Amino acid sequence: MTTYQPQTFQLNKTPTDDTKRKSKGRVLVAMSGGVDSSVAAALLWEQGYDVVGITMQVWDYTQCEIEEGAGTCCSSIDVDDARSVAERMGFPFYVMNCEAKFKAQVIDPFLDAYLQGKTPLPCVNCNTYLKFDHLVQKMYELDCDYLATGHYAQIVKNQNDISQIVISEDDWKDQTYFLFTLKPEILSRVLFPIGHLKKPQVREIAETRGLLNARKKDSTGICFVGDGKYAEFVEQHVSSDLLKPGVIKKYPTGEIVGEHRGIHHFTIGQRKGLGLTKTEPNPQFVIKIDAVTNTVWVGEEEHLFYRSTQIQKSNWFDHIQPEEILNVKVRYMHKGSPARIQKNEDGTAHIEFLEPVRAITPGQAAVVYRGQQLLGGGWIRS
Amino acid sequence: MNISDTETNHRFDHNLSLIYLDHNATTPVHPEVLEKIPLWAQYWGNPSSIHKVSREPKSILRETRKSLAELLGVHPLELIFTSGGSESNNTAIKGMFHKSNKRNHYLVSSIEHPSVLKTFEYLKTLGAEVDYIPVNQEGVFDLEFVKHKISNRTAMVSCMLANNETGVISPLSEISKLAHSVGAYVHSDCVQALGKIPIHLEELGIDMASFSAHKFYSLKGTGVLYHKRGVPFQNLIHGGGQERSRRSGTENILSIASLGYMVSKKDQVLEKNIKVKNLRDDMEREIISSISDVRIIGLTQNRLPNTSSLFIDGVDGETLLMNLDMHGICVSTGAACSSGSQEPSPVLRAMGYSRQEAQSSLRLSLGWLNNESQIEYFLETLKKVVLRIRSIKEVTL
Repeated sequence: MTTYQPQTFQLNKTPTDDTKRKSKGRVLVAMSGGVDSSVAAALLWEQGYDVVGITMQVWDYTQCEIEEGAGTCCSSIDVDDARSVAERMGFPFYVMNCEAKFKAQVIDPFLDAYLQGKTPLPCVNCNTYLKFDHLVQKMYELDCDYLATGHYAQIVKNQNDISQIVISEDDWKDQTYFLFTLKPEILSRVLFPIGHLKKPQVREIAETRGLLNARKKDSTGICFVGDGKYAEFVEQHVSSDLLKPGVIKKYPTGEIVGEHRGIHHFTIGQRKGLGLTKTEPNPQFVIKIDAVTNTVWVGEEEHLFYRSTQIQKSNWFDHIQPEEILNVKVRYMHKGSPARIQKNEDGTAHIEFLEPVRAITPGQAAVVYRGQQLLGGGWIRS
Repeated sequence: MNISDTETNHRFDHNLSLIYLDHNATTPVHPEVLEKIPLWAQYWGNPSSIHKVSREPKSILRETRKSLAELLGVHPLELIFTSGGSESNNTAIKGMFHKSNKRNHYLVSSIEHPSVLKTFEYLKTLGAEVDYIPVNQEGVFDLEFVKHKISNRTAMVSCMLANNETGVISPLSEISKLAHSVGAYVHSDCVQALGKIPIHLEELGIDMASFSAHKFYSLKGTGVLYHKRGVPFQNLIHGGGQERSRRSGTENILSIASLGYMVSKKDQVLEKNIKVKNLRDDMEREIISSISDVRIIGLTQNRLPNTSSLFIDGVDGETLLMNLDMHGICVSTGAACSSGSQEPSPVLRAMGYSRQEAQSSLRLSLGWLNNESQIEYFLETLKKVVLRIRSIKEVTL
């Protein structure tokens, strides 16, 4: 059994005397202006780290319809909130323009996925290419020793002194699902200062420190899409000739049971809003989205269950025995299903579940856990 | 004057004193202006009133207008106080558009300030025809383009006197000769030039010119528009009829007083700017000799005495700026932007530099309060930071 030395971030009851503080090192803290990353920065500062706060401006909110501060991140109101936390604590804070990178690495693949009939997971790309790649580079360039974020996740060292990611103390908020692509070699440089706390505690810390945004709403959904209006977002950002109406067919008979206004309106397992013209005796679900023929397949719920799946572009933090039974999450809110993993040389892997799993969706990730430890994962293939 | 005058006012964290090398963004308020503020604040009367509390404010308006007119070699009544450089540019350009009968074509340099470029973008939506004068990588204007495009349909040519990013000075008298030969007017954004180089509006053939107080050690909130008699004009702000009905709204007496005070020190300006130029030239020589792969933009051109715009290959300007800031040194990359983050400099992009080059740019703009020891500390820090960033690139990429 592996024993962990948890990284802890105790709260200082008395404020430190800034003039006498001895720095534990310099940390670049990614700050969105939300409560979590604000508290992360405040805790590090109180523990004697030299903090440099940074907000990545990823999206030009002056050009879009989303109401600022409406549970999205990194709008100009949120930038001001982050800046006010930095001013209150007294550490340097900067805004970095990452709009071009965000567009190329997050928005474009997001749109592309919908055109391919997949359901994208943009937060993972943002972590992979912005937070834990671009900011790691910036961490070195700004002469910092560590990079910290407000993720609900923990980093611990195993008995061989190797850093591993384990799930957050708040298993409801746990965000390790979005962290499977991190390069193992950077983990020793990464800090998750609120991973050992539960959300109410984080809010309490924000409140006792007088951080302005203690009562701010949690950001929900995808930061650049307002109010879950994904299809609308896709329509605003791709040329309309790529979004063609097509037919809805019944699986497995192939009978045409309706028409659709574009495959980007659908995700696997979807039941509502199908607009079928023919009444079926049982509830119908989206079973499959075929981008090549522009067809949406619907069927009975039993067709949603699969015993196995293939993943690609996988990333691993630790060894896996082929016979070992591990827990696999196929979407963020999935509690996980037991499975065996067969890794291949080319970065693909075969996942064999012990019991059939519902709605395994291309474009999402299958993320693998050993108990509380994040082992890695990969992208679900069509 | 000495930097210690300002040290107590601008104490930076970590006990570092501030080294301010961003005077083209704004200048610190001159220490003597700071001293006078409590006095001027007592002149709170409305200059438009008739009773005696309006006397001092009226006299401030009159004296500032007079001394600035003298400095620029124009008549005092040709100067209009506005809220700033952006308002001056907007008034001049939109006014010309509204009042120029039949002529609907404009020539604009491609490296103007956004308050000029965006105003023309707006006028295009109302039907104006706009051509942008190309500028090469050294900041030199394509006068052949002007000759080719200008015609008796051209209402106005708008071209800044000195560029805010590169400091390169435009060949305005040649441009205005071309403009006047076809009956077109010349507007010039002179915001960066005021207090840095002598400005002879008549000699340059400028018909309208914009200025801003806060680039000249004065308080923010005041701009000036030079409007030559007879040039088509339409006011932007309607109301109580101040400024001979050319700009309504109660005047910003405090800021106007500070501008007047600075203009009254004009005899010192030349001497101070020679000192700034020597400091800038020494700094550039040292940068070139001690850091590899650095290019200075417009080095061989006629430039403002205080500005230095460089590319430092392999170093992201944004990161460099943050590193220098953490050492108490204030510089900029491209033009300052209100959101605090920025796209790589549109001016450098318009001069034909790549996005990547623009991202490695750094703008240093010196001022009267800078001294040798500050520049020495800056150079030492710059060398260290550039070396460190370059070594990281090699390790991680």
